[in-house]
Amino acid sequence: MNSSDWSSLFFQIFWIIFFIMILTGANQRIQMKLWSLDVRNKLRVMRRYIDEDNKRIENYLRNLGVENPQFLIRRLANYFIIEPVSIEPTDIIKRLDHLIRNEETSVRKIVSQYLPNIGEYERSLVETSLVILGVLEQVYKIVQHYLIVSEKENNWILLMQLVLVMPQILKYVEIYHNALDPFLTGKPIGDTIGPYIAFKFIENSDVVSQKVIEDTCVLETRFENRRLFIIKAKGPGSNVGKPGKVLADLIENLKGNVDLVITVDAALKLESERVGEIAEGIGAAIGDPGPEKIAIERATSKYNIPLKAIVVKIGLEDAITTMKKEVYEACERAYEYIRRVILETTPPNSTVILAGIGNTIGVS
Amino acid sequence: MIFQLINFETIILIIVLTILLLLLTTYSELKRKPRKPEYETKEILECTKCRHRVLEDFEPGDFISMYKNKCPKCGGLMKVKAIYCIEKTLKY
Repeated sequence: MNSSDWSSLFFQIFWIIFFIMILTGANQRIQMKLWSLDVRNKLRVMRRYIDEDNKRIENYLRNLGVENPQFLIRRLANYFIIEPVSIEPTDIIKRLDHLIRNEETSVRKIVSQYLPNIGEYERSLVETSLVILGVLEQVYKIVQHYLIVSEKENNWILLMQLVLVMPQILKYVEIYHNALDPFLTGKPIGDTIGPYIAFKFIENSDVVSQKVIEDTCVLETRFENRRLFIIKAKGPGSNVGKPGKVLADLIENLKGNVDLVITVDAALKLESERVGEIAEGIGAAIGDPGPEKIAIERATSKYNIPLKAIVVKIGLEDAITTMKKEVYEACERAYEYIRRVILETTPPNSTVILAGIGNTIGVS
Repeated sequence: MIFQLINFETIILIIVLTILLLLLTTYSELKRKPRKPEYETKEILECTKCRHRVLEDFEPGDFISMYKNKCPKCGGLMKVKAIYCIEKTLKY
């Protein structure tokens, strides 16, 4: 055969195979194999991150004196909370609050059982680190579940959706993986913005009195001829406190004689926004599941107190990883911004409450 | 027929060109991915007496408002004022 016969044969075989594949759906099966290979590769990356984090936490617990860290890790990494019934909304906030508190105390009790001789600071770091590991394990299991289901049932639409969403999932997993470092070493994170700004106000005012209620500090201070109450979670451990409930109780104790309530928190930015942008608005700047936010809203609306929200915009990666310099600089600017807001909106001798919302890790 | 016009050498050329094109696309995709920056954590220590500031490496367990070290200028106690991370390649 000459070369043109060979090429003719080649193209004929090519077209025959092509049509057979189209008619039998083999092309789709090849596509599914490629997709599932892609998801499996990304799952392998996720498993590597989880194993690394597992090892780090295990070593940390061993150094703290736990003999069998894997048992504690398994027990808390798989810990879950069942959401309250929402079809009957009566008392849902009360029930949700009860469940959240129950979970917090149970986890604390378990950690304390295994680590009876450690301080509050280390205990909080252990708790948060195990929560991070739990999130990673959960995401891994869910992705693996959908992969197995799609393969089992030959559901290429499900697999295609999984392939399309995998880069985003992997990005979130990487962020959580990177978040373990600040929680094992006690570094401030992006979410520490609120407590850090509250701390700046404490440093620059004259403290009259202070008390700690439910892991939350309440300080009465004199600031620029105003009575300023500052609320923040108790540091320097990983703690968010109960700022909503404490703020509501404080307003009740003051019989509603408050001229302004300011909540300051970190907020997730849109892709088009710059990290560290400061924005001002109305409402409670707090990202809890509900009980804390509603407590602030109820207390301020009961006595008709103006409620201001000041937020510093950051990305998800900045929020749970070590505070970056640009975020720190934004905190300094936000302090000045809030100071100006207080001076502009309240006359001397008025009463102001400032709540620094967020995790106070690394800030006393 | 068009098949008879395409000889064996042309097929080889098409295959080689396709491989080259694939390699080029992969290379440009890889190049497009931004480099992951590496960070190091620093802390600012401020003297409680003379306000002299020092930038140091963060040590695990340090926290803002913690008293640490003595001032190299006046010997006063130094306090951790800020903790943040910066890109390793950046000058500060």
